[in-house]
Amino acid sequence: MLTITVNGKKREVHSPDSTPLLYVLRDELDVNSPQFGCGLAQCGACSVLLDGQEIRSCISSVSMAAGKEVTTIEGLSARWAKQKSLSPDQAAKTLHPVQEAWIEQQVPLCGFCQSGMMIKATELLESKPNPNVDEIKSAFTDSGPSAHLCRCGSYVAIIEAVRYASTIMAKGGSK
Amino acid sequence: MIDMTQQTADIFGAQLSRRSLMKTGGVLAVGFAFLRGGAARAATETGVNAFDPSMPESWIEIRPDNTVLFRTGKSDFGQGTVYTAYRQIVAEELDMPFSSITTVVVADTDATPDGGGTFDLLGHGMPNIRKAAAYTRQAILQLASDRLGVPKDQLSTSDGIVSGGGKHVAYGDLVKGESLKLTIPVSGDLMSIGGLNVGGNPPLKPVSQYKVIGKSFKNSAVSSKVTGQEAWVTNVKLPGMLHARAIHPATVGSKLVAAGKVDAKRFPNTKVVVKGDLVAVVGPTEWEAIQASYQVAKDTKWTPWKGLPGNAKLFQHLRQDADWKAVPVNKSRESRGDVPAGMQSATKVLTATYELPYMKHAPIGPTVAVADYRPDGTVTVHAHTQNAQALRGQLAMMLGTSPVNVVVKTYAGAGHYGRSNGGNAGAEDEAVLLSKELGKPVRMQWMRNDDMQWSTNSPAAFSDIKIGLNANGKIAAYDADHYMPAGQDDRPIGAILAGLPTMAAPSEKGGWIDSIANGSSDPWLYESTPNLAERFHGTYQVGQKSSPLAVGLRDHSMRTPSQYQQNYPRECAISEAAALAGADPLQFRLDHAKDERLIHVLERLKAESGWQPRPSPQPKATKMGAAVVRGRGVSAMLRGGGYWACAVEIAITPATGAIKVEKYTIAVDVGIIINPEQLTRQVQGGAVMGISEALYEEVAFDEGAITASDWMSYPILKMGEIPEIKVVLVNRPEVGMYAQGSEGANALAAPAITAAVFDATGVPVRRLPLRSAYLKDMLKA
Repeated sequence: MLTITVNGKKREVHSPDSTPLLYVLRDELDVNSPQFGCGLAQCGACSVLLDGQEIRSCISSVSMAAGKEVTTIEGLSARWAKQKSLSPDQAAKTLHPVQEAWIEQQVPLCGFCQSGMMIKATELLESKPNPNVDEIKSAFTDSGPSAHLCRCGSYVAIIEAVRYASTIMAKGGSK
Repeated sequence: MIDMTQQTADIFGAQLSRRSLMKTGGVLAVGFAFLRGGAARAATETGVNAFDPSMPESWIEIRPDNTVLFRTGKSDFGQGTVYTAYRQIVAEELDMPFSSITTVVVADTDATPDGGGTFDLLGHGMPNIRKAAAYTRQAILQLASDRLGVPKDQLSTSDGIVSGGGKHVAYGDLVKGESLKLTIPVSGDLMSIGGLNVGGNPPLKPVSQYKVIGKSFKNSAVSSKVTGQEAWVTNVKLPGMLHARAIHPATVGSKLVAAGKVDAKRFPNTKVVVKGDLVAVVGPTEWEAIQASYQVAKDTKWTPWKGLPGNAKLFQHLRQDADWKAVPVNKSRESRGDVPAGMQSATKVLTATYELPYMKHAPIGPTVAVADYRPDGTVTVHAHTQNAQALRGQLAMMLGTSPVNVVVKTYAGAGHYGRSNGGNAGAEDEAVLLSKELGKPVRMQWMRNDDMQWSTNSPAAFSDIKIGLNANGKIAAYDADHYMPAGQDDRPIGAILAGLPTMAAPSEKGGWIDSIANGSSDPWLYESTPNLAERFHGTYQVGQKSSPLAVGLRDHSMRTPSQYQQNYPRECAISEAAALAGADPLQFRLDHAKDERLIHVLERLKAESGWQPRPSPQPKATKMGAAVVRGRGVSAMLRGGGYWACAVEIAITPATGAIKVEKYTIAVDVGIIINPEQLTRQVQGGAVMGISEALYEEVAFDEGAITASDWMSYPILKMGEIPEIKVVLVNRPEVGMYAQGSEGANALAAPAITAAVFDATGVPVRRLPLRSAYLKDMLKA
């Protein structure tokens, strides 16, 4: 039996070690935001952060995550609150700047790819707080095993939202 | 004034009644009754809607706290319309604030009234929910008149309050302690693609008094999606649920010889289920089911079949072998004049053939459904469908049962742009059959290759177009033959494979939806054309007749269906004709337009894109060399009452065929703009999909099967490839109607980009997609 940390909580895993993390998160741990898109690391719908780095959970064995920290969009608010040392009261009322930006900019159309898109945005902004349009495009297209694909065509909105999130983060949050 | 001791009142043909007084709560519920004699079929099927019209669950509920719930059989596929525009329309017609519309119930067969496919949601300006709200406001006025003792015509409404004669009352106070029902007239067929339609003509709010429509309210579904709270169809988990994977046939004409057996040592809890040619692997966990399905697939034997032309010979097959005589050729209503005489008089003639490949809806998530079949013969299906009632009908037909035994619940999922507007998306019927077989809830999740290879396709098409120009460089005659196989096959694939009842395959005997006939879908824009003939030729789906499964390459409507296939050749040809006339392609369009709205959109496009008039090709056009050459193009269409035009700028390297769309400006007039921000996002998204379709999309298939199986073999546009996109919204409240805001956007890109390639290289390119490898070859030829 493995223990992994998901969104700040230690979770015991009963699935076999070789099970892709995606199915453990969704089916065993009821963490539902990473989506099954291709099972081939070709689309990014299943992306999660593993110790702050984006991985494709559809092809990554759960054993890879042993002793490490998995973050999904359910854990983004808490991640931001911890980074900003917010009080529990403040934390409960706070969205991650990426989430706030995604709402303000009305990014999702069908939204199926957006969990992965937001994970990618978070990874990008944590390493590069003020990315320009070309850097954003490059992060979503050329970094990682494949580009992050959106069929509804929300790429314009994503770029605007990453820029918007960057300005919120530069102010230390929306408050 | 109506005496409130009366039990009913007539409200513009609707019936308002008081059923009882209540000690607490209270409600005005809006239900429906079928228009007398209007729809015999519907009337015999009232039992299939779980709604009892006498119950307070229906279209709209006004509650004592002045909040409102409304229900719609339409779902959300990323348009956001049911959560934004519909809310705004209901608020507007009720004369209440947007924030009063607190609850939206969508697309469950047992919880929503009207059914119908999720497309054209603003329905030429008159969605059902608008009329339902308008009736409701009239009922409110009636109730207020009785309560206040003031005649109706002396009352006015604002922000959920009725005022008049120095008195006022909140809507909520009118329903407090009452159980009121408003029954409105409807007609139609609940489980058809169109569903039910609200009838009658209740007074609508004048556009000049709009307060809620026109503002950018946020989509409530966005918040739940970005915080991980959304109830996605993929999240549905039922107690005891089993995970299934399908093993689909080796080709679209293969019959099962023998299903493989599960390696019980590796997969002790998993089993194979076979029903006719439907093979599936079912296990307690998802990963075990996936692994076992790979193992069983390897050992499963199918008969060989070759009945497809392969995509390299597709157009040769369509031209020479397909039967275009099985159904009559349709002519467009706009055909006019004497085309042969017009051609005879022409000084220059363009003759061209344009070819469009099969494309995929290609949702980011493959189709998935959970079915729970009970021993009493009822089944509940959890799905992501554009038409829950039609899916219910299909599943009932497959099971040989009454639709009352089938409930479909609709959840958010990956958008699929038309695939399920007639009911199924792919996995639902298979889930039902397996749940019935195993007596447990079953979750059927197609894998990426299933979704690419066994879902329906946007049909391939080709067109022969001839344009004659007179001595002044104007169109003297336009002659077009459009050829396309049947465009809508709604048969559930699992039912076909299992040999169970389905609707008929598209044929010459079919009706509006399932006929193989082809018809006009692209309204003519260039009104000054004196002589015009457009003919539409239909045929069977490729491979359908020779396939032992009767499937072949199954087609289905996909974003801007049929019009995509007709507008591409027309707009390409118009751009080429402009070049032949030595005219600027945008001015050439303006010179042939008479419709003021079209002219206005083209003028706005011209100004906003910085368009400088000159003919194509551009002076430095070349089809050779390793240097980048640039070009630009324009296109236009009238879609569902909305006027669309775009201008693109591209860069192409002739030696390699490498192409990049650098700038894209799109202008749109959809009449009354309900929500500018949501419309902008739809238009941007459609533009990106359109560029993707133009540059990349083509379904590869060989002589037996679709070979495109993933995102490598069916590539779509990546973020790094998008151009600078500028959206120009033209608000026309004076036209007094709404029009759909997303479908046109995807169809515009391809003809404009194709024209831009011609502008840059001087070579007319007449097929899609514009992949670099194809462009390189076409420029060499």
